[in-house]
Amino acid sequence: MSELLSRIAECIEFGKINKVAPYPPNMKGQDGADELTRRALDEGISAQRILTEGLMPGMEKVGIKFRENKVFVPQVLMSAKAMSTAMVHLKPFFLSGEVKEKGTFIIGTVEGDLHDIGKNLVAMMVEGNGWKVVDLGTDVKADQFVAALKEHQPAYVGLSALLTTTMVNMEKITKALKEAVPGAVVAVGGAPVTDSFRQKIGADIYSSDPQGLVEYLNSQLV
Amino acid sequence: MEGLELIKKAFSLETVERVPWVPFVGVHGGFLTDTDAAFCLKSAEELVRGISKAVEEYHPDGIPVVFDLQVEAEALGCELKWSESGPPAVVSHPLADGIKLTDLKIPGPAEGRVAVCLEATKVLREKYPELAIYGLITGPFTLALHLMGTDIFMKLFEQPGEVHDVMDFCTRVGLEMAGYYADSGADVIAVADPMTSQIDWLTFETFVAPYVTRIFDSVRKRGRLSSFFVCGHAQQNIEAMCDCRPDNVSIDENIPLDFVKDIALDKGISFGGNLKLTVTLLMGTPDDCREHALECLDLGGQKGFILAPGCDLPRETPPENIKAVTELLHDPYLQDVVRTLERKESALEVFNMKDYGQAEKVVVDVITLDSESCAPCQYMVEAVKRIAPYFEGVVEWREHAIKKMEAVSFMSSLMVKNIPTICIDGKIAFVSKIPPERELVAAIQKRINEKLKLKIKSKRSALILLGEQENQCIELKERVERALTELGKEVDVQVLTGNDKLASFGVVQAPAVVSVSYKLKSEGSVPSTEVIKEWLKEL
Repeated sequence: MSELLSRIAECIEFGKINKVAPYPPNMKGQDGADELTRRALDEGISAQRILTEGLMPGMEKVGIKFRENKVFVPQVLMSAKAMSTAMVHLKPFFLSGEVKEKGTFIIGTVEGDLHDIGKNLVAMMVEGNGWKVVDLGTDVKADQFVAALKEHQPAYVGLSALLTTTMVNMEKITKALKEAVPGAVVAVGGAPVTDSFRQKIGADIYSSDPQGLVEYLNSQLV
Repeated sequence: MEGLELIKKAFSLETVERVPWVPFVGVHGGFLTDTDAAFCLKSAEELVRGISKAVEEYHPDGIPVVFDLQVEAEALGCELKWSESGPPAVVSHPLADGIKLTDLKIPGPAEGRVAVCLEATKVLREKYPELAIYGLITGPFTLALHLMGTDIFMKLFEQPGEVHDVMDFCTRVGLEMAGYYADSGADVIAVADPMTSQIDWLTFETFVAPYVTRIFDSVRKRGRLSSFFVCGHAQQNIEAMCDCRPDNVSIDENIPLDFVKDIALDKGISFGGNLKLTVTLLMGTPDDCREHALECLDLGGQKGFILAPGCDLPRETPPENIKAVTELLHDPYLQDVVRTLERKESALEVFNMKDYGQAEKVVVDVITLDSESCAPCQYMVEAVKRIAPYFEGVVEWREHAIKKMEAVSFMSSLMVKNIPTICIDGKIAFVSKIPPERELVAAIQKRINEKLKLKIKSKRSALILLGEQENQCIELKERVERALTELGKEVDVQVLTGNDKLASFGVVQAPAVVSVSYKLKSEGSVPSTEVIKEWLKEL
């Protein structure tokens, strides 16, 4: 891996957005994800390589640290912000088809729930891992999920909820998805969700952290 | 001892006889009174109605008046989206929408829903003088997040000064709210700051600890108790939370109760939690709830522990589930039963009892926890013991104390669900209540009569006459036949001759008579070894 790519990975891992960003303090004054990605492209490194050898390893490290309670939401959001800064430079190559996405992941916070921190974290981690993410936002009803799945087939669907009062809506949505699209794969997550809850409602996968979901999705590629 | 007095005892880490119980009823109160969440949270009268119903049904020692972390946010200009089934959600964040912190005013006690909450507190205070009334306020970090939106997370690093200013403001709101609640009669001020579960220890120490500590110190100065509620994966901050000097920390199912217990007791404060809200309380059966509540009680222990749900109850939690928790909590004997069953159930072997009770004697089984330590069990066993002499030789009775594994298997094989229970010949006869002597005797007698009838119907016997040659048995056979005629009995008579036959019955000198009785023991099934053993004992 080129030195430049590993520096990009480091910027993502530690949430270094650009040169002027004060965070993290020990990288003050250094180039961030923004400048380094631009430079990599200028040096002729392909967008695909920047994604798979720069952004993805960085995001994966954050994902693992988040799972291990070494970093928390604020740090992950900084990493995500660094990543989306880099992605701005790569977007054109996604659109032209030069960069291949691994597949499609549809995500939304379920009906009645307006919380999006967790949902956004997952979306960013999945996207940072080379998947196309269709973000339906918050307060998403069953028929919206169904319509999105039909439109983006084949795709995986992720349901997020923060509240114990809204997580129960996951059951209804999972049922609707499975009825409308036989074989639909539904992932559930969010603070109150547990694996036994997932089993009760008949969803396919639960992970207590975004990285677990990323690993699951990647495992489905083989 | 109960109510506030008991809570105080637990808060001061004295050993209690019974663990105090604080169901966070929240919008579930509206469910009890058939009122939707939005309507309930906007009316003092409805809040009081819901909580009163919960007090009646769940016999709590303490209860929060309102469980809504959007009250202060709304008063500070956050827009809410109301729901029929849960607390409202904040949909706009004034500080992210260009409003300046200096433009925000600390809400007064007469403003909007703050007034509603305080009014409900006053009414409930008056109505339930013994109950610990919890006044719940939004923790400063969660309130800051409401005001700033998720920008707050990045601003922790990018504009820390701004976050500190907002935290200071939110703390002043909290201090005022705590004061309003205390003045309205609340005994415990609960600072609920769930969003702190999303930050690391260092961020908590820097941006949360100095602020919430001010609130807890002020509550203490006012002579009230305080509690720090958090939900979610906040394990990394529990120690720091305890160091903020609340009197109690309360957590949800995301954190193991024993983990919090160790830290809290070590820091000299009490702790509470962490009944599982959805999988158990909302979706489980009363049995699941009892079992799970017991797990919490056993983990929590009798020093410093408050039993409570992890967070506010989902609105549609079945009331029978919460009642099951209350019932268990108030009944040490039931706890013993649940504890024993739980331990044993996993390794359970189920006997085939289809043919149980077909033995000659009537079998009376008393299923108990242990007649030595459980009073109702003891009385039931004594009742059986007392009547046993009347049936000497006809009835056999046994106690099955389910502290032994075989007894648990036996109990479930007989489909017995309650303790103590009396079974007569494998059929459940008396459940929980101790039968009066007359009833017990009648029930046993009834079974003896049934068996007698069966016996008469099914018995077939034979006499085998043995001789070296046939003529040795002629006279013998004549006498047997006369005897049968005189008695009016139907018995097959068979004559067997030859030395080999004599030898096979172990007869040395002919003629000889062997009596055989045949008895139908089972039909159309393969009886279990256990049952066959019972029959063999009669032979």
